[in-house]
Amino acid sequence: MKDNLQKLKQDILQKLSEVKDGSALRNLEIKTLGRKGELTEMLRKINTLGLEEKKIVGKLANDIKLELAGKFRAAAEVLEGERKNEFIDLTLPGEKTKRGHLHPVTILENELSELFSSLGFSVLSGPELESDYYNFEALNIPADHPARDMQDTFYVARTGAELTRADADGADSNLLLRTHTSPMQVRAMEKYGAPLRVIIPGRCFRSEATDARHEHTFYQLEGLMVDKNISFTDLKGVLEAVVRRLYGAETKLRMRPKFYPFVEPGANFEATCFLCQGRGCRVCKNSGWLEIGGSGMVHPKVLAAGRIDPKAYQGFAFGFGLTRLAMLKYGINDIRLFNSGDLRFLEQF
Amino acid sequence: MLLSLDWLKEFVKLPNSLAPQDLAARLTYHTVEVEKIINQGDKYRSVVVGKIQKIDKHPNADRLQVAQVSIGKEVLQIVCGAPNIEAGQLVPVALPGAILPASPAGGPNGAEIKEAEVRGVKSSGMLCAPDELGLGDDHSGILILKSNAKVGEPLAKHLGLHEVILEVDNKSLSNRPDLWGHEGIARELAAIFNVKFTPFVPKKPVGLKNAAMKIEVKVEAPELCPRYMAVAMTGVKVAPSPDWLKRRLSAVGMRPINNIVDITNYVMLELGQPLHAFDQKMIQEIVVRRARTGETIETLDGEKRKLTADTLVIADKHKPVAIAGVMGGASSEIGDETADIIFEAANFNYRSIRQTSTRLGLRTESSVRFEKGLDPNLAERALARAVELAVKLCPEARLASGITDLRTAASKPKQIILDLNWLERFLGAGLKPTKVEEILLNLGFTVKARENALAVTVPSWRATRDIESEVDLAEEVARIHGYDNIQGSLPQITIAPPVLDTGVSMEKTIKNNLSGAAALTEVHNYSFVGEEQLKKIFIDSSGHLRLLNPLASQHGLLRQSLVPGLLENIKTNQPRYDDIGIFEIGSVFLAAEGELARSNTGGKLPYQEKRLAIALAAGGRRDLLREVKGILENVLQLFSMAAEWRGSEINLGWTDPHGSAELWVLGKLLGTVNIMSAKAAKNCGIKKSAAIGEINLTLCATLAANQPPPAFAEYEKFPPVIRDLSFVVNEKISYSDIRREIAGFDPLIRSVELFDVYQGGKLGEKNRSLAFRIVYQADRTLVSAEADELQQRLVKRLEEKFGAKVRDF
Repeated sequence: MKDNLQKLKQDILQKLSEVKDGSALRNLEIKTLGRKGELTEMLRKINTLGLEEKKIVGKLANDIKLELAGKFRAAAEVLEGERKNEFIDLTLPGEKTKRGHLHPVTILENELSELFSSLGFSVLSGPELESDYYNFEALNIPADHPARDMQDTFYVARTGAELTRADADGADSNLLLRTHTSPMQVRAMEKYGAPLRVIIPGRCFRSEATDARHEHTFYQLEGLMVDKNISFTDLKGVLEAVVRRLYGAETKLRMRPKFYPFVEPGANFEATCFLCQGRGCRVCKNSGWLEIGGSGMVHPKVLAAGRIDPKAYQGFAFGFGLTRLAMLKYGINDIRLFNSGDLRFLEQF
Repeated sequence: MLLSLDWLKEFVKLPNSLAPQDLAARLTYHTVEVEKIINQGDKYRSVVVGKIQKIDKHPNADRLQVAQVSIGKEVLQIVCGAPNIEAGQLVPVALPGAILPASPAGGPNGAEIKEAEVRGVKSSGMLCAPDELGLGDDHSGILILKSNAKVGEPLAKHLGLHEVILEVDNKSLSNRPDLWGHEGIARELAAIFNVKFTPFVPKKPVGLKNAAMKIEVKVEAPELCPRYMAVAMTGVKVAPSPDWLKRRLSAVGMRPINNIVDITNYVMLELGQPLHAFDQKMIQEIVVRRARTGETIETLDGEKRKLTADTLVIADKHKPVAIAGVMGGASSEIGDETADIIFEAANFNYRSIRQTSTRLGLRTESSVRFEKGLDPNLAERALARAVELAVKLCPEARLASGITDLRTAASKPKQIILDLNWLERFLGAGLKPTKVEEILLNLGFTVKARENALAVTVPSWRATRDIESEVDLAEEVARIHGYDNIQGSLPQITIAPPVLDTGVSMEKTIKNNLSGAAALTEVHNYSFVGEEQLKKIFIDSSGHLRLLNPLASQHGLLRQSLVPGLLENIKTNQPRYDDIGIFEIGSVFLAAEGELARSNTGGKLPYQEKRLAIALAAGGRRDLLREVKGILENVLQLFSMAAEWRGSEINLGWTDPHGSAELWVLGKLLGTVNIMSAKAAKNCGIKKSAAIGEINLTLCATLAANQPPPAFAEYEKFPPVIRDLSFVVNEKISYSDIRREIAGFDPLIRSVELFDVYQGGKLGEKNRSLAFRIVYQADRTLVSAEADELQQRLVKRLEEKFGAKVRDF
């Protein structure tokens, strides 16, 4: 029995060495190792042996079977390799598939919307052509307030008979292009009441001459949270979460007093410069800090303008320039590129 | 505003070890933003004391001289045109490399001094006149230094200009009338460092009862002038101010003029109250009134200005002599001959001052202060300070009149009850009541403790419009304590389902689809268009909303379509790109009433809607119109909506007369898809063919909101029979009519899809071929004979109805 097994093995190996292609290999494998193959047939006979012999021969047979199976596998690999023996330059680049591009401001807006959505904020949009009332008055910036100097405003002339009726209030022109996204604070409060958690990304306008650092059209993101027990420390905590999302877990937040008529206390906020980690570099003008935006506790007059009882509710608001953040993030040195429509710029994102 | 560190130190005792950088940082992080620290010595870098050793005539110019000037370690040859130099004099020498401060009277402002050749003679520096050093406006000759000047010594050191100046961002002061002088900033520093603050305490000047001079003052417009104080002084000798005063004013950017004017400026910079000095001879009676229509005044800057009834003026019997709170008039200006003066210290209505200053386009040191809303009590202190300084500067000067003080009733001090429990809820900063009290006291508030509350009285200098309620006090406490010393926390709230703005989420979905599957690039264009731009593409601009103050004429109108911007984009990119595929989502603005409220009292904003526009441009023979349609169909499908295309009669101007299709969805016109006309392309300089689709996204979101999600359809249990059908028809017969006919022909026809359109070749003029794939489907196994029979009948119908002829393949 043992000899027969060895002989069969040699026989099979001999035939295996003569195999030239895949189908011959498969045929040989079926003929020998297959369900009705020669080796299989022989293995069946082991059952007829005595117990002691069965042990020895059984092990041998099994070893042979494994060995042959391995040789068949190796032979198969060799044959497959032969089939594909033409040279492949594995360093060739991928085939270009057509793709489009989101505007860099949209990318940043999406990133932040996602963060705020996960914190339970809703994303709203609002009108870009606004009224003096929502852009200034309702935000505690009355006419002749020096704070109006802070924002050079584009005013819109009235035209068309349709508007004369609405304009009977006598004002010269109370239509303007919103100078910030803050008017949506009051609109959102009027529409949804309290409690409220919203962000409003959107386009804003300031009447200033354009150059590499100034643009009359830019994007802001406004945030507003109103509830019964919202404190200044909560504002700070949320802003910390924002700058960490933007620039990494180690980022620090710094706030300093700044006057915005629609918040009290008002604060400016800065984050440690993500380029130099606060050591000081060209981007942060060697200060180690990057100015991000403005914030504060919603002024009671603004809550009241939004028809929310300032005695029962309080909240915070913040805003920052999306365009500016995009410039920082991608190292864009000319703000005018954003509205240039130039594909050489847009295709980089 | 510029602040002198030395000046501040007259009011507050700051730690000696405090570096200017740290001081600036503390001020920034507790009160106002310090933008710059200026070391005054730096201003005169490379300007040294020199001694003139010898003067020769310039060989080639009569008016020039050539001086040999020793600066200690060497002797420089310098060409000089000033007439007043003599050998032996000590003079300021700007060495090559020096950059002189800007001077108002001309001269090499901010320019670097270089070695030069002047008319053939080498000159290694410049001798400086006072104005060239920013030390007054004298340009008549070189500044001759006192004999104690040391040759070679830096000029700054000799002049004692070693001050540190802080530049504060004026915008960060716009809510703080009390911080427009050194005293106010010093009070803040005292609170920040918790050190002693010493305010200016006036010795009340004693007015003369039976004075020789009487000042007749009438305030005819008390609503615009809550307080008017004036006093006359005699024995004044107008002269240049002493050096310490000049130096101090120059240090904070104020040009010294003469002692009396300098006093008014000094008091303003010190206490924050603008003052005015009149020549008493020129003004017999003072009337504070509104200007009469048609009145004019020549102001100190030499401008003739028209006044209106809204303008508050200081007038004599006949005419205005000053625009109140903004600028004095030339007629009553203090001159060298003036011996008797009137000091005015007044309080004007901030609104009126701001209106006047805005209308005249005249912003002065005075108007920026008054428009913030000054404390009426400040006038009294400032007047006392001015009298005190006048006597100090002109020992002969004395009061010559009683003190006029006309004021409307002083308002009662404002008291705010600060609930300490509320404060903790509001700030969350864990501040001890004693700390709160200490901060408020340091800032000049009066505080009385009550149970869990503080009764806080607001000092008059914070009461005009700044501190109104407990939130304002909360800010005072928080900022002096330091925002950095407050730990952030995350809000603890009851969660509530978020409100949903369907438009916003739709926009995001569409942008992702277009930039992804459709492989388009998102652009942003300005919301503005120009008349010329519209004219080129035959769009009527008359109905557009207009900016009152556009930056440029090409940005004068608000856009009513995204198309003009996209056409510009095609033009910009065409030199570098064969194929262009872009989209924009943005607002358009119409001169019709919209839905959003304009204010809380009524009125509506103009109508605004969000649009989506898609533009494709290519040089080859692609069917761009259908490509844009396909992209839009995919977009609609994202929201379970289907497109219906109709030929359009609407003329958009820039479109090909036969190239506009309307997009109808759920019975509404959602937008159009158009081929750009050759004329418009030529006018814009576009060398490719282009198609642009534009839809109303606001409407799209409304329609989508009511759409059910796509309902899952079970797979058919029986195999379909699929037949292709291709036929030739007249090109005028529309696809949609034919398709409707086929689809409705028999219930067994399950789907009809166009897969080829062909025109030309042997088909004949005005004909085209359409190829449809028709799927026959039944709830049983359909035999092909059945389908064939159906299709034969269909062909017959198409022949009858449309004159279609089946093509043989």
